[in-house]
Amino acid sequence: MLILRDLEVQSGKNMLDIQTLRGVAEEMNIPESDVAGFVGFYTMFNTKPRAKFLIRVCKSGPCHVMGSTTIFDAIQKHLGIGIGEGTKDGMFFLEKCECLGVCSVAPAMMINYDIHGNLTPKRIVSILNSYKKKKPSLMEDCGKEVEGKTCVINEPRQTKRLLENIGVVDPLRIDSYIGKGGYESLKKSLAMDPSKIIDTVKDSGLRGRGGAGFPAGMKWSFVGKGPVQKYVICNADEGEPGTFKDRILMEENPHLLIEGMAICGFAIDASLGYIYVRGEYRRSIERLQVAIDQARKKGILGKNILGSKFSFDVIIKEGGGAYVCGEETSLINSMEGKRGYPRFKPPFPGGAGFNNLPSNVNNVETLMSVPLIIEKGAGWYKSVGQPNCSGTKLYCLSGKLNRTGMVELPMGATLKEIINVYGKGLPKGRKFKFAQVGGSAGGILGKDLMDLPLDIDQPMKQGVTLGSGVVLVCDEGTCSVDFLLQILSFFEHESCGQCVPCRVGTAHLHHLARKFASRTAVPGDIDLMVEKATVMKKASLCALGQSPIMPITTMLKYFRKEFLQHCDPKHKCPQCDRSLSRYYAGGGH
Amino acid sequence: MESIQLTINGKQLAGHRGQTILEVAGENNIDIPHLCYHPRISKTGACRICLVRVNGTMLKTACTEPVIADMDVVTEDAEISQIRTGLLEMLLSEGCHNCLYCEWNGECELQRLCQKYDVQEPSGVFKNRERTVDTESSNGLRRNENRCILCGRCVKACGEIQMQGVWNFTGRGSSTTLTSDMFAKLGDSSCVMCGTCVQLCPTGALSFQTVLGRGQAWDLKKETSVCIYCGVGCQIDFYTNKEGQLVKAIGNENGPNEGHLCVKGRFGFDFVQSDKRLTKPLIKKNGKFEEASWDEALDLVSSKLTEIKSKSGPDSIMAFSSAKCTNEENYLMQKFMRAVIGTNNVDHCARL
Ligand SMILES: Cc1cc2nc3c(=O)[nH]c(=O)nc-3n(C[C@H](O)[C@H](O)[C@H](O)COP(=O)(O)O)c2cc1C
Ligand code: SF4
Ligand code: SF4
Ligand code: SF4
Repeated sequence: MLILRDLEVQSGKNMLDIQTLRGVAEEMNIPESDVAGFVGFYTMFNTKPRAKFLIRVCKSGPCHVMGSTTIFDAIQKHLGIGIGEGTKDGMFFLEKCECLGVCSVAPAMMINYDIHGNLTPKRIVSILNSYKKKKPSLMEDCGKEVEGKTCVINEPRQTKRLLENIGVVDPLRIDSYIGKGGYESLKKSLAMDPSKIIDTVKDSGLRGRGGAGFPAGMKWSFVGKGPVQKYVICNADEGEPGTFKDRILMEENPHLLIEGMAICGFAIDASLGYIYVRGEYRRSIERLQVAIDQARKKGILGKNILGSKFSFDVIIKEGGGAYVCGEETSLINSMEGKRGYPRFKPPFPGGAGFNNLPSNVNNVETLMSVPLIIEKGAGWYKSVGQPNCSGTKLYCLSGKLNRTGMVELPMGATLKEIINVYGKGLPKGRKFKFAQVGGSAGGILGKDLMDLPLDIDQPMKQGVTLGSGVVLVCDEGTCSVDFLLQILSFFEHESCGQCVPCRVGTAHLHHLARKFASRTAVPGDIDLMVEKATVMKKASLCALGQSPIMPITTMLKYFRKEFLQHCDPKHKCPQCDRSLSRYYAGGGH
Repeated sequence: MESIQLTINGKQLAGHRGQTILEVAGENNIDIPHLCYHPRISKTGACRICLVRVNGTMLKTACTEPVIADMDVVTEDAEISQIRTGLLEMLLSEGCHNCLYCEWNGECELQRLCQKYDVQEPSGVFKNRERTVDTESSNGLRRNENRCILCGRCVKACGEIQMQGVWNFTGRGSSTTLTSDMFAKLGDSSCVMCGTCVQLCPTGALSFQTVLGRGQAWDLKKETSVCIYCGVGCQIDFYTNKEGQLVKAIGNENGPNEGHLCVKGRFGFDFVQSDKRLTKPLIKKNGKFEEASWDEALDLVSSKLTEIKSKSGPDSIMAFSSAKCTNEENYLMQKFMRAVIGTNNVDHCARL
């Protein structure tokens, strides 16, 4: 991935030409078809020339709701290019993309690897002009508005645990972290019996924060035993539209992640850790690398860490633009340099993961909770949250709110509390229509469920999952058909294409949504959509293909009438019109 | 090996640790439909056709799910049939299937399943994406990807069996396609034309140049034979049409080759029915070959050999015999050289 990304930047045109790729295959002594397959899977790569600066504008839920179509309009006006087109001078090329992980400052875009948020038609012009003088670089130069700590909501008081040191600790200085008691939990752990650590984590009730909510301690105890290499893998792929929590954590407190991984490594007898970070998160990658280097110098990573018998090191792997690579087995395939196809289970990663060796995959938020649990005890951790769902949860607020950003609240906060207290309600004159919880793979909650505790189990009973903690608020101005269209286009774009129900099903669902949006659907298409999504739910290999049923049925539960209205060719819907003309003009999907 | 007792469709059966549901079912003649699974390659688990019900609730892919003690498997019920039909409908609408024009008509696994589940013609609501058709660039293989179900068998056949790695998938999701090498035409690729991918392809997406226009699949007669080219002794199933014309060679899975063939075994059978083949002995007279009787020819050879032997000694003669002859004929050849001519100068092309 790294080599290819470097080559692409060096090309000056954001491309990988076939000749270069043949060279890579020969150099690595692998079949050419493997390289072609790899490059073709990850959206960051392209074998056709693009331009010196590649503009990717996000069209996922949060950005769409906040008006990403107006951003495309502004670029069209300023540069005269639509999606899939480049300027004649070879300076800019425009693409649409899925979530960039800065949803609280939506709408957003990425120019090469620099992310800019809070876009307005006016800001776009000044940003684009500033690039005319720039040289492409491998480093990031993101806008200030996407800085991790500025995306945190500080008021009113929250139960800050993971966020306690955000903005307090200097992420670039290990001494600052140590000064705040950092790495004390690791010291404490190294003096403990590994099985005791696992017991403590089990006892704390900590459940995975990546989406599935599997009990972390139990997962650790399932990791294969015996004298073989084992791995700790941190899932920092964060691709679920509306999620930006892991980015903030990694940017602002990278050492806490390293500490959590080292403790996990000691507990499961793994001497090597990998952090799989999505390629878009340049700043996270750079800061993590600084932290790793500093920790190595201090003897916190490397051989016999902190003078103990235990050795542990951490390596960063980068993603190449594929949501599905957040699925743990797909992530492992991607780490192995393959196409990001999820694997069938069993075997589970704990038995045969990276390089077919025992591997434990956890989310960033999960691993970062571990040092706190070791320091303060399982009892302390359980003291907040729900009976089967303890601790705090990071909620990512985006959409039509007076205040967006990340908050840390005890598990089970309600929509009412999140919207009114932390989001300060909807902007004046706007009325709540629905909230999307859990991202694209989650579902829709209406007014009736304002008091539903958003933990891991209770939303499930309403056909919704909390997932990674997305709360995207939409007002009366949001068309449910248009919104579902964005979700279903996301799934088609992100399906890995390996298994039949999802590969074909996502395309069919997207097609049906387009029929509604263009008002050429017939009422029977509603049932057809549900029917397809049901086969997908039952038959898909991984959770990606099993998910679309959730947004579809929950959306229909509230807004079936709007879908029926969209069956009438005479029905007016400016929102659908905008999406159709903006996103689909240059072909593609 | 540890034996495992389980029930499939109410029948008490025994498997062993490490086997999948599909394997145990297969051994017991219980048919579980599948498309991406093939015994000669690693498991894929992606077509999802082989979903079966385990312990009354869960749906699992039989091709990947290991058997465990007291497992209760049902291979078909109303819901499973519905899913399979749904999946097959999806596959049909994803491609462009018209059996009338297909080389593999009558042998296609997709066709058989669609008939079994009574899958109707796609409604036309969902358009298929045009994919690569390359039927000319290669001398041996034809590719029509509009019939491809992206099962991955060819990718694994080439990568795991022939170890040539010509095929892979590129793109992703609904825009997934095959690529040979780096987006090369098959004829320009590193393909060595062993034909393994074609043999494993469940549909007519990949086929042989020799098949088209030479009779319907159901009219072909199969005869198992041994390859004549080398000492491995691959078993081949040769198919002939109603006119007795050889149509194709398929590796026999029970032979030492376990179904595999190389380009010679796969395509090197045209000589058998070639009109250039000699049917009568020829003797060169006045610089030109002329037809002769067997008696005349044998007399000439015997007199020449006797002459050479007496003039220059037996070791001035050598025999090189052919793999295209039977073992018995080859035995006779060396016997003749040793006993009649009196030399050990014998060799054979299969010693290569
Ligand atoms: C399509 C898909 C995308 C996923 N994306 C992520 C992700 O970006 N980050 C993450 O931590 N987990 C993601 N997951 C969940 C992981 O598969 C896995 O459950 C998780 O990393 C386990 O960590 P946890 O137990 O700490 O939650 C995804 C799952 C699926 C099916
Ligand atoms: S469900 Fe979708 S993403 Fe998951 S393996 Fe199947 S095709 Fe790939
Ligand atoms: S014929 Fe053999 S070498 Fe050629 S692509 Fe098929 S399996 Fe590979
Ligand atoms: S060409 Fe045949 S074997 Fe290859 S993926 Fe397509 S259907 Fe499967």
